[in-house]
Amino acid sequence: MNNRQARLFAVAATGLSALLFLGLTLDSHRQFPELTNAQDITPQVRHGMDVWHKYNCINCHTLFGEGAYYAPDLTKITQHRGEPYLKAYMRDPSRFYNEQTHRRLMPRQDLAEDEISDLIAFLDWVSKVDNQGWPPRPILVTGSFAPGAATLAAAGSSGQTPTGARPVDAGDDPRALGEQLFKTATPACNACHSTVPGADMAGPSLAGIGTRAAQTVASPDYHGKAKDAGGYIRESILSPSAHIVPGEMYSADGTSFMPTGYGQSLSDEQVGQLVAFLETLK
Amino acid sequence: MRYQSQSVAYWYFAVAMVLFGLQLVFGLLSATKYIGPDPLLYILPFDVTKVIHTNLLIVWVLTGFMGATYWMIPEESRTELHSTRLAYIQLGLWTLMGVTAIIGYLFRYGTGNKLLEQPLPHKIVIVICMLIFLYNVGMTIRKARRFTTTEAVLMIGFVSAALLYLPALLHYENYTVSIFYRWWTIHLWVEGVWMMIMGGFLAYLLIRLSGADREVMEKWLYVIVGLVFIAGILGTAHHYYWVGVPSYWLPIGGLFSALEPLALVGMAAYAYGAIRRSGLAHPNTLALHWTIGSAVFSLFGAGLLGLAHTWPSVNKWTHGTLITAMHGHAAFYGAYAMIVLAMISYALPSLTGGRREQGSTLGYWAFWLQISGMFGMTLSFATAGIAQVYLERIMGMGYLDAQLKIQIHFVMLIATASLFTVGVALFIYDFFRHAPRLVVDEPASAPAPVRSA
Repeated sequence: MNNRQARLFAVAATGLSALLFLGLTLDSHRQFPELTNAQDITPQVRHGMDVWHKYNCINCHTLFGEGAYYAPDLTKITQHRGEPYLKAYMRDPSRFYNEQTHRRLMPRQDLAEDEISDLIAFLDWVSKVDNQGWPPRPILVTGSFAPGAATLAAAGSSGQTPTGARPVDAGDDPRALGEQLFKTATPACNACHSTVPGADMAGPSLAGIGTRAAQTVASPDYHGKAKDAGGYIRESILSPSAHIVPGEMYSADGTSFMPTGYGQSLSDEQVGQLVAFLETLK
Repeated sequence: MRYQSQSVAYWYFAVAMVLFGLQLVFGLLSATKYIGPDPLLYILPFDVTKVIHTNLLIVWVLTGFMGATYWMIPEESRTELHSTRLAYIQLGLWTLMGVTAIIGYLFRYGTGNKLLEQPLPHKIVIVICMLIFLYNVGMTIRKARRFTTTEAVLMIGFVSAALLYLPALLHYENYTVSIFYRWWTIHLWVEGVWMMIMGGFLAYLLIRLSGADREVMEKWLYVIVGLVFIAGILGTAHHYYWVGVPSYWLPIGGLFSALEPLALVGMAAYAYGAIRRSGLAHPNTLALHWTIGSAVFSLFGAGLLGLAHTWPSVNKWTHGTLITAMHGHAAFYGAYAMIVLAMISYALPSLTGGRREQGSTLGYWAFWLQISGMFGMTLSFATAGIAQVYLERIMGMGYLDAQLKIQIHFVMLIATASLFTVGVALFIYDFFRHAPRLVVDEPASAPAPVRSA
């Protein structure tokens, strides 16, 4: 190869690559509106993006996995945490996490109320962008080590059975199906609740919920409509604010932080399976 | 020094040195926050120290690039610079931009857009500085009527760098589109045109240090440039994983970024071959260490560590973890920090008095301490990142809990980063301990016949 041929190679390689790249860029623009649900970019979402930029969020957190790796990924956060929780969290993170325990804490940002709600609208838009199904398994903010939790979740969606996880199918005991739902419902219950005694996460630990539910229903402070433990658990899943256990970690102004969409996303039978599973936690 | 105007390079290098030192201060501060709790939570939180750390990197490396170019162009074109005054005005503006941007970040005055945090006025000043620079260098080459291939590669690199900054000036209402164009600037800089600039400096240094034949060196420089762009342009796709773009970017990203090490293998082989084959050895062996070191370390950091997590089916699990920080640190240091330090080490004996051409003992300590420190930092990020991927992404442990389990790797990070910092401190001390002596001591040779690229 002489100098002239080498130069021709450099120019041709660069030219062809650039041409292909520009062509694909044009085609990407054609597809952006559909992939990103561009029609849902409302003024709130736009303002939420400005808030995201204004508070320099990306230099601690990641979004679509891009950012600074010092704080949790927020791509799917609105699918893991309900709006009341996120609002209360944004007002004062130190009420939810202890810097001594986790060795790091998000500084209070003093956002205006409309900034908070628009930021949540933006994050909700982000969570619905078609990004090839990433992350492949939910990335949790906190949670104790629970063997098989995510592997079971993956088995449910992909049909592959990872080693060590027993497959669960429709003919199984409702309680086994409920245990799987606990990890696979959207939002996944185990994103906020552990079943380990004392391991409270964004939601309280559900260890012993079967026993506590029976006590709650029987107590004179209970104002909901349930008649027995199973009924109380069902009510808590479908309308979390019907009866609120006092304490500022999990509710504010009479509204529970728990997401309210399970009535729509789960069938009546599935709720029954979840209740059956939870009642076993004595 | 052969041309009086080469002396502007000294002041560019001096500014680069100060900013490099400052970058490490903010890097170390950021690293300690991984251990926590953070006493500076409300004074200097992580997002501020991190944004200053990365921005200082970009500013000092570019300052070094521009200084090195002002050093190299007169020698290559065999003439004085078009205007030293313009070069100083540019340096003043540039430094003012850098310093005010850093002060602004302390008060959260920035765009909050990853790596493009510079506020609009600062971005405009960056463009103005680049234009002054291109004009000044372009006029010098035009006046000399001598334009070598090495210069051509370098100049095309700088012109493209300026052009690719333009998408960063626009505002996008769709976050995914904004990500799409962020990488036009950042990726195509780092893995495209900056590589070209690095290749230009590498060729210059190898020709000077090894006495390798210019014809041969320039021929291979073309081949490397071709390889850089085949892999680099379409390799942008590896930043388009999981961000809301069409799926065809996944296989394209996998395929073309897997080719990226090819160009880097080419560069390393190029450097090694040049040194082995040539009979003539330049006395400045310290600069030679940095030059070969840069070629080898970028093969490791940019090439191999990039390849380690670039395939989509791997990246699906490692995306957005400390694995990226591992690759980022080794790649930037090997490819860009080291090539600037090589140019400085090469030029320094002629820019200051009382210095041995071979380089000082201190200079060698600086080299080896930095190399070992950065290697250790890379391993710390790697082990932390691997543990994070398994605990958090595969086992399903929560982010905060997984981070607690990998604390020991952050201790290692700080230990090795301290070693690295000592190496950098020695380099900076060695730079400033001799006063500048900016006189022509090696008269320019008789005008050579004009030769075009």
